[in-house]
Amino acid sequence: MKIFPENASSYGGEVDFIFWLITGVVAVASVIVIFLLLYPVLTRRRKLTKTQRYQKGEGFRNLRLIYLGILLLAIADFFFLYKEGPTWTKIEETLPDKEFHVAIIGRQWLWEIVYPGPDGKLYTADDVKKINQFYMPVNSVVHMDIQSYDVIHSVFIPNARFKQDALPGRNITRWVKMTKTGTFPLSCAEICGIGHANMKATIIVQNKEDFKKTLTKLYKK
Amino acid sequence: MEKIKKLTWREIPQARLAVWTLIAGEFVIFGGLIVMYILNRLKYESWGEMAQHTNVWAGTINTFVLLTSSYFVVKAHEAAVHKNKAQIKKWIWLTIVCAFMFLGIKSYEYTHEIMHGFTLPGKHLVAEGLGVESRYWSFYYTMTGLHGLHVIAGALALFFVMRNVTKTGKNYQRIEAAGLYWHMVDIIWIFLFPLIYLIH
Amino acid sequence: MNTHKKHGFWHRYFFSLDHKDIGFQYMLTIFLMVSIGGFFAYVFRMHLAFPDMKVPLFGLVTNKDYNMLITNHGLIMMMWLALGMLLAVAGNFLIPIMIGTDDMAFPKLNKISYWIFLLSVILMIASFFMPKGGLGVGWTLYPPLSVGDFGYNTPYKSFADRFFTANTFVLLAIAFEFTSLLMGGINFFVTTLNKRAKGMSLLKMPMVVWMINIANLLFMFSVGPLVAGTFMLLLDINVGTGFYDAYRGGDPLLWEHLFWFFGHPEVYVILLPPLGILAEIISVNSRKPLFGYKFILTLTLIAAVLSTMVWAHHQFVAGIDPRAATVFSIFTIIISLPFAGIILAYIATLWKGDLRFTLPMKWALGAVALFTLLGGFTGLHLGASVFDIYAHDTSFVVAHFHYTLFPTVIFGSFAAIYFWFSKFSGRKLNQTLGNLHFWLTFIFFNGFAFPLFLLGLAGQHRRIADYRQFEFLMQDPLPLYRKIATISAVILILSQFIFLFNFIWSLKRGKKETENNPWQANTLEWQTSSPPPHGNFKVYPVVNYGPYEYNRPDKDKDFTPQNEI
Repeated sequence: MKIFPENASSYGGEVDFIFWLITGVVAVASVIVIFLLLYPVLTRRRKLTKTQRYQKGEGFRNLRLIYLGILLLAIADFFFLYKEGPTWTKIEETLPDKEFHVAIIGRQWLWEIVYPGPDGKLYTADDVKKINQFYMPVNSVVHMDIQSYDVIHSVFIPNARFKQDALPGRNITRWVKMTKTGTFPLSCAEICGIGHANMKATIIVQNKEDFKKTLTKLYKK
Repeated sequence: MEKIKKLTWREIPQARLAVWTLIAGEFVIFGGLIVMYILNRLKYESWGEMAQHTNVWAGTINTFVLLTSSYFVVKAHEAAVHKNKAQIKKWIWLTIVCAFMFLGIKSYEYTHEIMHGFTLPGKHLVAEGLGVESRYWSFYYTMTGLHGLHVIAGALALFFVMRNVTKTGKNYQRIEAAGLYWHMVDIIWIFLFPLIYLIH
Repeated sequence: MNTHKKHGFWHRYFFSLDHKDIGFQYMLTIFLMVSIGGFFAYVFRMHLAFPDMKVPLFGLVTNKDYNMLITNHGLIMMMWLALGMLLAVAGNFLIPIMIGTDDMAFPKLNKISYWIFLLSVILMIASFFMPKGGLGVGWTLYPPLSVGDFGYNTPYKSFADRFFTANTFVLLAIAFEFTSLLMGGINFFVTTLNKRAKGMSLLKMPMVVWMINIANLLFMFSVGPLVAGTFMLLLDINVGTGFYDAYRGGDPLLWEHLFWFFGHPEVYVILLPPLGILAEIISVNSRKPLFGYKFILTLTLIAAVLSTMVWAHHQFVAGIDPRAATVFSIFTIIISLPFAGIILAYIATLWKGDLRFTLPMKWALGAVALFTLLGGFTGLHLGASVFDIYAHDTSFVVAHFHYTLFPTVIFGSFAAIYFWFSKFSGRKLNQTLGNLHFWLTFIFFNGFAFPLFLLGLAGQHRRIADYRQFEFLMQDPLPLYRKIATISAVILILSQFIFLFNFIWSLKRGKKETENNPWQANTLEWQTSSPPPHGNFKVYPVVNYGPYEYNRPDKDKDFTPQNEI
């Protein structure tokens, strides 16, 4: 059974890995907790003495096992943090050198994708705007300047395991590197009014030659 | 049915405990506003310029007025300890007069500022492209306005408590409780005054 | 709820100063609110599973309707149901009687708190009938959307046009509700400190009294900035200030911080009282002392402090500095530790216990199992900021918070009601109906919530009125999961009518409760009549024992009332 949509980005696998790591540990912990709950429920030990039952947990001795449980969880917790740290830094805090740069601007209720135009620079006179069609070259680092005209939107690319809120008055630059060609959905992941359900863009990842042709056609218009 | 004796925790009377808890809650509310103000002040230099348009003299007089009123409230508390109704009446009325003076001076300030276009929504400033600066005044009116509402609330509390205590001769501890609240109102002003009026 | 004097309807439901009557008033008001919130859930879930259907009792659901339904469902459940039931109702019923006193420290303040709460309910319901319709911006009320449909560019015509909006009324309702809860909080706190029975030191109080008070203090501490922020949002809407307007140097992110600085502690505020209720019920039904009383208290205080340091895990991808996000991720993951300890202490209470599978015990065990395994553990997934990049604003989050909130708030409330009903009403709830209610709720809650995990992992984002535009979300088995979730949710909601019927019927015609102490419990409320008289006790108890002295080796009975000589 497929759990996740197809992963088509360079760091998507790392995101999935964190999920499976935590799920694996949690599954083991769950088995333990289920046992701990079912055992008293199923055995209902009636024959114990009062002294055996009258355990208040005072003093370190009786609490030993609980401290052990907490310690094990703490170790697992720090292991999760240790494993996810580098991925977080990679996705959020670094910007590998760009091979393509667009601005994606949310507005109620569509996505404006701004291509840099023949001069290759964004925010110049020859920029070309497209609505809801986001062309990208495969295996290339794409920088996205994420912005909004009006309210808070969010750029969500499930197949890239990418998400970033788009705030009015701010420019947030993130990156993605798609590793497969094809079309992938881009949805808005922050409620933005009655058209929120309609805010869908399409990402079209093409190989480098097709992409060059697409850009040329785009810039001619 | 047995009657419950008035118990206390570590000898703190009920009313005092209640008001301290209330004060703690109020501090968090104003604390939030003050922190936001400070952060914005640090971020935008133009806010400092806007602050220059506040009336330092009015602010200073008001600070003096509130401090004096706190002294009066302390005297009222002393009178309550001695169960001296006449004195209670005198000192609380003086406190309420101070409240009126404070509000009067504040109204003068507000009128002056509004006439110069420094309003809560700041439409004039926004129209001139001074959006960031208009937010200074949003904060100014919100903080001083909320404080002013608490001055009114405190004065009303003092008035009703005074009337109740002097009429019934019971519940003298309420004078202290209302007085504590008044001190809180004063202290909040002590924080607002330098932030809004003095620091440039 | 008292038989001392036969009071008229108006007295009991409006003017009574008795904390038990006031608790009952809160409870009835909250039953009303939860019915509305539950109805909304029914409507929007039907729409999600059957998009073009005219939903029975509602009609066709437009995008605007959908946004309004989910927003108000969230607001009602989080603000009025959870906070109301677990602070106001639980605190009012339980605190004075469990500490062995007659009533709250300030009964008149208690009464006024209820009236303000009622006002907040009226304002909230009024918001549905505003000219522009009910609020549809998500329960989190993020500006600029919450300033008006088109943010700061919303064309308002006049002050009346701004004021008579759902935006304003909802914010006013919340403001009044917070005021009511703050007043109640002061009352509960002073009552607990000052009015305990002789001999009841703080460490001899039942855990639930501690938990409600810690929850209250946490609430009072964390709500302040949001009160300021709400005031600011109201000004933005009604006066045209620009606190959150990015084009005027304001910041929408500011609201997010103010909201979540309260919002995160809030979920612990509503978690702590149910944990307290579970402590009582598990201990009584295991005939064992609560394991690690001081241990649990210490961990609760640690968790309460930590809970004020994790708020931005709701904002990992919101545009905050990623380096700050790492700090919040660390604290979020760490907060799993004190709660793990508390749950393990509860399990240790069960261990070697002489278990009694009463209805309250079933609810309690169900709560512990579901909260820990599917709620708490998935919090680890979401606390890991990297996975949250994917999971944020998907159905995975919705499943997580339903698995943390429902077992604690709802199961906990039912556990409490089935436990204390006969004490406060003098009549017994029907056990057969109760068992039916429990099993249906347990099974169909899982049927509703579990598929949402799978939907979220498949990339289904939330607050979407119609998934049909998204091909990848229409592939099998996703529509099937949505249908399973919906049908389970509908059966879940219908099952609650069994409870409602049982509750109302038993109040009037239930078997009379003849015993003071049917559960053979230690705490003080069980040492007085069912229902208790006005003033709770004919003779005020003097406490000699802690609340969990079950199966003491030096006693004959397997329980030891706190006021035993």
